[in-house]
Amino acid sequence: MRKRDDATNLSRRQILKGGAALAGAAAGTAITGFPAVIAAEPVTLRYLSTATNQSPAIAEKAAKDLGIKIEYVTVTTDDVTKRIITQPNSFDLVDTEYFSLRNLIPSGNLMGMDAKKIKLIDKLAPAITKGEIGGKKIGLQGTAPNKVMYLEGQNSKKFAASPTEWITLIPTTYNADTLGIRPDLIGRPIESWAELLNPQFKGKASILNIPSIGIMDAAMVIEASGKHKYADKGNMTKDEIDLTIATLIEAKKAGQFRAFWTDFNESVNLMASGETVIQSMWSPAVTAVRLKNIQCKFQPLKEGYRAWASGFGLPRTLKGKKLDAAYEFVNWFLSGWAGAYLNRQGYYSAVLDTAKENMEAYEWAYWMEGKPAEKDIKGPDGGLLEKAGAVRDGGSYNERMGSVACWNSIMDENAYMVRKWNEFIAA
Amino acid sequence: MVQKASRGKVEFVQTVKAYGASVAVAGIDLRIPAATYCCLLGPSGCGKTTSLRMLAGHEAVTSGDILLDNANITLMPPAKRGTAMMFQSYALFPHLTVVENVAFALRMKGVPKVERLIKAQEMLKIVDLGTYAERRPSQLSGGQQQRVALARALIMRPSVLLLDEPLSALDPFLRLRVRGELKRLQKSLGITFVHVTHSQDEALALSDLVVLMNSGKIEQKGTAEDLFTRPRTAFVARFIGAHNVIDLGDRAIAVRIDRTMLRRDGSADATRREVTVRTVEYAGTSFSIQLVDDRGSELAALISEQSFRATPLTEGERVLASWAPADAHVLEGGAR
Amino acid sequence: MPLLSTTDKQAMTHYARWTSYWQAAPLAAVLLLFFVLPLVVTFIVSFWSYTGYSIEPDFIFDNYRDAFDRCIVALPDLCTTFRTYLSTLRFCLAVWLLTLVIGFIIAYYLTFEIRTTTIRLVLALVCTIPFWTSNVIRMISWVPLLGRNGLVNQALVGAAIIDQPLDWLLYSNFSVLLAFVHLNTVFMIVPIANSMSRIDRSLVEAARDAGATGWQILLHIIIPLSKTGIAIGSIFVITVVMGDFITIGIMGGQQIASAGKVIQTQIGALQFPIAAANAVVLLAVVLMIIATLIRYIDIRKEL
Repeated sequence: MRKRDDATNLSRRQILKGGAALAGAAAGTAITGFPAVIAAEPVTLRYLSTATNQSPAIAEKAAKDLGIKIEYVTVTTDDVTKRIITQPNSFDLVDTEYFSLRNLIPSGNLMGMDAKKIKLIDKLAPAITKGEIGGKKIGLQGTAPNKVMYLEGQNSKKFAASPTEWITLIPTTYNADTLGIRPDLIGRPIESWAELLNPQFKGKASILNIPSIGIMDAAMVIEASGKHKYADKGNMTKDEIDLTIATLIEAKKAGQFRAFWTDFNESVNLMASGETVIQSMWSPAVTAVRLKNIQCKFQPLKEGYRAWASGFGLPRTLKGKKLDAAYEFVNWFLSGWAGAYLNRQGYYSAVLDTAKENMEAYEWAYWMEGKPAEKDIKGPDGGLLEKAGAVRDGGSYNERMGSVACWNSIMDENAYMVRKWNEFIAA
Repeated sequence: MVQKASRGKVEFVQTVKAYGASVAVAGIDLRIPAATYCCLLGPSGCGKTTSLRMLAGHEAVTSGDILLDNANITLMPPAKRGTAMMFQSYALFPHLTVVENVAFALRMKGVPKVERLIKAQEMLKIVDLGTYAERRPSQLSGGQQQRVALARALIMRPSVLLLDEPLSALDPFLRLRVRGELKRLQKSLGITFVHVTHSQDEALALSDLVVLMNSGKIEQKGTAEDLFTRPRTAFVARFIGAHNVIDLGDRAIAVRIDRTMLRRDGSADATRREVTVRTVEYAGTSFSIQLVDDRGSELAALISEQSFRATPLTEGERVLASWAPADAHVLEGGAR
Repeated sequence: MPLLSTTDKQAMTHYARWTSYWQAAPLAAVLLLFFVLPLVVTFIVSFWSYTGYSIEPDFIFDNYRDAFDRCIVALPDLCTTFRTYLSTLRFCLAVWLLTLVIGFIIAYYLTFEIRTTTIRLVLALVCTIPFWTSNVIRMISWVPLLGRNGLVNQALVGAAIIDQPLDWLLYSNFSVLLAFVHLNTVFMIVPIANSMSRIDRSLVEAARDAGATGWQILLHIIIPLSKTGIAIGSIFVITVVMGDFITIGIMGGQQIASAGKVIQTQIGALQFPIAAANAVVLLAVVLMIIATLIRYIDIRKEL
């Protein structure tokens, strides 16, 4: 119902978009003009995201640098989306994935963020903003961030084809995912996604049971095996969904999969215990397995990576002091300290230059340039991650992000896909 | 249902029941003739219920033997002994109908359904509950439940029926009536009833043989009249009641309260005692006078209405309690 | 002149009647708010339409049709929904039987074999130890035990009983069943032990007096008199298993479907109306099972 109202207002809003920005700015000033006692009180921002994107160290540093108190609201990926749609007033700042924007923006619960207020807007990684690495286009199948980064107006529900001053999400972290393997148990090179369904690994493979991501991994496998070439793996037709699911069901019935996983710890346990030797995985999970002194590799594959990116969004109702604080925090986040922190976890940060300034040269060389570590590599908490001499799986930023084949996405046929996915689980 | 050949001769031979160090039944010897109504009487904890349960087979015998109709049943399971027990709270199966309750033992034996229900129905008629067959026990009154329990026990055609405080759950009026019915039933069945009770009235009214127990031992056994007229010890005299136990120093005697006379003249001697009237109670056909002597011992006297009216007594009055030497019954073991 | 006029008396009974309603009101309100209302909302929403980001009031049967997608045409082959329910029902039956037998034996032991109250209490507490940690931890702790390189396999291989580790110990129907039984037996023990403790011991003696053997006593006295406890325990176990998706998920390696998992996936994908439709179907199935159970056993006695 609300949807229709907004649709009729759309054109008027577009006309007024410049004015609205002014009004917003004015309102902000008006509120900060409150008596000094109230203004001096530290602002608390309720920061909604998954556990992956949260770190007490970042909150602590922000409190010290800005006097802004960050209150984390930790939920699962699905619940971040659910919260934004059903309880848009339960947070002040959200860190969510770009692929869910196709559901979030039409709900009208997020505002377009004002590019003018983001100091480092021009320094954001082109991989996100333009889908380019070093001026060269990367794989943009699925919901690539640059497709959903801009809105036609601050309160618009339409994504703009070219950059505008209204931004859906300011990127925080992103990465390129691939298969994790146990080289010690496999004992031969793995080069293709097709290996996930190789009968050699019968009963020792796993795929993640989050339908929208799992089906992408499956699509990578099917394309690699030459069975089908998708026009867009991130937006399959019903027939393509049927084909993909049928392939998965066939493999499942043949006993290919040991288990499916849904959360970080499950994936670590499966790999560490040797229940699986090849599976969909996330970068920090690979690190976690290695920290148990178990060999594990985030294997680069010739077909490329499945990438994802997440970023800050603001609820449309955010106003005044909190709105100012949110922009202030976002700017701080891009200013380097937090970026370095994320890079040291194996993610990539949105503004590389500022992050570099906050990292040691040997760290930068290891994480971003794919060079052997000169010294022991430590995580953001100071714990040892890799011994000197190690090389990052997949190499440099340019090599890894440059080989992205597709992005996490929500398909037009999402409802159908979820139903078919349930069929796969039930098979 | 009258059975001519009398059954149910019970013998306890040096029967002992001990729970670790504490002895519940301390080696009793008891012979109950066939077709006898026997009451095990005594205060709580005297071993009467334990003895009954040993006879029933629900309590293992520590040492000694129990015989029934000359067969040693000491080690037999309950149902093989020829005994049947009626439990204190009747222990009717709440999930079964009245007729199913009665037929239970036959069902356990594998008697076909129709046959066992017919027999149970017959048994219910005997206890006058023919029309209640399909009810649940909870829908019956206490007296009716008691009769169901009786029927359920009797359907096993026992030689000995064991009754554990069968009347305690009934109201006083019903208790008197059921008491009479039990006695009649025992006579007509010609089997032995062993009835545990702590009420001397019940025991005296019903029994062919009264067995008075105390601290795991038999204090006295005999006919009701034996016990009443010739209590062996002070305990018996006191438990049976209606006796004054009088300590004469070198010996103790029991004098029935209706043979205790009260007079105003004379002096105390071996057959007299100075007492003070404490209370005077009207008891219908007589007056019950509660007395206390100078040493603090309590006595009582039962005086006919006629003689009380002739010489009324008032509370606090000093009188002499006296008895005929022939009425003084010497007790074993003194006044304690 | 009577002390109270007729109208006074009527007023009083009237008053008394309303008092009882007021006394029942708080509970009724709580039930209404937290039980009836959500159910009604779920039922209503199951007829709504939805997009990826919104649900729209509507009155369509598409959600139910989708829930039973191709279920009729595919017969005699089973569609996903039927297969899911069949699998869940099979678990339900197996778990019910196992927890019933194990729970009954433990309850019997606690009630009839343990003589001192203190030991009975201690042992009853021991039964609840699995509940001292979270559900998930209890299940995850099976993994190092049953995994391919887990203790059981190591022991079996070490003892040369098998030469290859057994894969079916984990992420299988077996492990799901094991975890279910582990987690739910106590729900059987408690109500059955409660029923048993109310059985008058003299009933057992009376049965023995009537010539019943140990088995006959069990069959004719103890089981019938424990029926209400069995029914209540069964309702607990059946509802837990029917609605479960966490145990099946973790112990089945996410490879085994369950009605609860289907609903969870749909909620995760923001498809609330179809999730609501599936929830209504699940509720109907569970209610039918419970109705059947109650037909045989009158649980009102116990409540």
